Amino acid sequence: MGLMDQVELPQPVKYVFNWGRKYSLWCFNFGLACCAIEFIAASTSRHDFIRHGVIPFAHGPRQADLLVVSGTLTDKMAPAVKRLYEEMPEPKYVISFGSCSNCGGPYWDSYSVTKGVDQIIPVDVYVPGCPPRPEALLDGIIALQDRIQNESLKDRMADRRKDPITLGADAPLALGSSS
Amino acid sequence: MSEVLARRDRALTPEETEELLRDRLGEQVGSSVQEYGVFTLWIHPDGWQEAARVLADEPLLAYDFFDSLFGIDAREDGFDVVAVLYSTSTGNRIALRTRCEGGREAPSCPSLTDVYRGANWMEREAYDMFGIEFPGHPSVEPRILTIENFEGWPLRKDFHLASRVAKPWPGVKEPAELDEDGNVIEREVRIGDAPGPYDLDKAMADQARQRNAPAIEEAEQDEDTSPDDPDTPAEVATDADAAAGAAAKAEDRRKAQADARAAKAAERAGADSEPAEDLDQETYDQLIAEGKSERIARSKAKAAFIKKRRAQERAESEGGADSDDGDEGDA
Ligand code: SF4
Repeated sequence: MGLMDQVELPQPVKYVFNWGRKYSLWCFNFGLACCAIEFIAASTSRHDFIRHGVIPFAHGPRQADLLVVSGTLTDKMAPAVKRLYEEMPEPKYVISFGSCSNCGGPYWDSYSVTKGVDQIIPVDVYVPGCPPRPEALLDGIIALQDRIQNESLKDRMADRRKDPITLGADAPLALGSSS
Repeated sequence: MSEVLARRDRALTPEETEELLRDRLGEQVGSSVQEYGVFTLWIHPDGWQEAARVLADEPLLAYDFFDSLFGIDAREDGFDVVAVLYSTSTGNRIALRTRCEGGREAPSCPSLTDVYRGANWMEREAYDMFGIEFPGHPSVEPRILTIENFEGWPLRKDFHLASRVAKPWPGVKEPAELDEDGNVIEREVRIGDAPGPYDLDKAMADQARQRNAPAIEEAEQDEDTSPDDPDTPAEVATDADAAAGAAAKAEDRRKAQADARAAKAAERAGADSEPAEDLDQETYDQLIAEGKSERIARSKAKAAFIKKRRAQERAESEGGADSDDGDEGDA
């Protein structure tokens, strides 16, 4: 990024710059299991996350800003995720979508399943659920966009990471919401 | 394969296949059994390759499709290998089963890759999961299903799951847990009963109970048609306390109902196990006269009998406290 990660931008410029970044997230889908179906549902016309500026199906990791790991990550697959993540250009963001990629999910005791992608790559947003509904992904995307809007690119590049957001961790459970 | 004689209309029966194989291989062929709907032949490991070769090349058999191959943990006896073969010309399927030589320490089984090239990766899988060696296989290393430096053989019964060592399984184990006397502990799983280690689970369970209380109530209204029931779905109050109360009440009622249902089921089982005299003679004679087979007539007559008896019972219990209506639904 050259200058961008050296200099703190003045506030108005930063605002516009971040606004532009948050609404043009090229998304690289690492679909590994059932959750990938929900991800696809989120990208199709009913939920349609392009209206939030997330552009699905980047041509490859080198064109992507956002990695969504959806599904069961196995130890065998882990090096591939790590490698694709490393191919992505900074600044890059990761959403861990579903119980499996959060912590191993139903396969917590399996001999072959990695107990969460955060064991190999840093995660920005955890979306819980097995599988989470597409709305939950939209929620996660908006949480991530809030973070992008308010962050300083310089800081982000300097320490790369911030504490992850866990959806629903501090909010009261929304189970009883009327439907 | 040019002179394949096998055809669907004159496919050999399992018995004929066994005979033919026994003729070619002699002592190597062991017993045969119909397992999980597949005709299974036990083969001595020495004749393993030869058996596959005969099945593949014999024009009458022509098992030309290698379906699958997998290992089985036979506990103290070591490991078994099963190969499933299919014939595209006769439509027959056969399973060959052999006990590996070498016991639990060094199980090994001759490779089928010379006969079927498709056996290659399946044998690698069996090696990955059970540690069975396949002499004659091009190379079972490196492991393909697990990471390359994986230690142990995950599908062996004595393989320890690291996570389970750190944290025991939180729920009811399959197939069942036994109490001290060796009886199966039966549990009826209900909403929110899912075993979970976290407080979050508890909170979710409570919410689910409260949220589902009206629904449960309604379902019970359908089932339980006794007129003296004071609760109506409309009475379920909206605030949390009342909802919790309703949930508790619903739970009690559910228990009572489950007991009643179990008693009824036992009764019914007792009735069913009586000798087959509960036939409706009229229906039976009529069906026989119509030229139906005895078995069909018998089953239909039985159904007719049960129907009549039910009608009778209902007539007797009319005006009584409980009718059977709800029960028939889950019969
Ligand atoms: S979290 Fe559930 S739905 Fe998602 S990949 Fe895992 S098992 Fe499938």
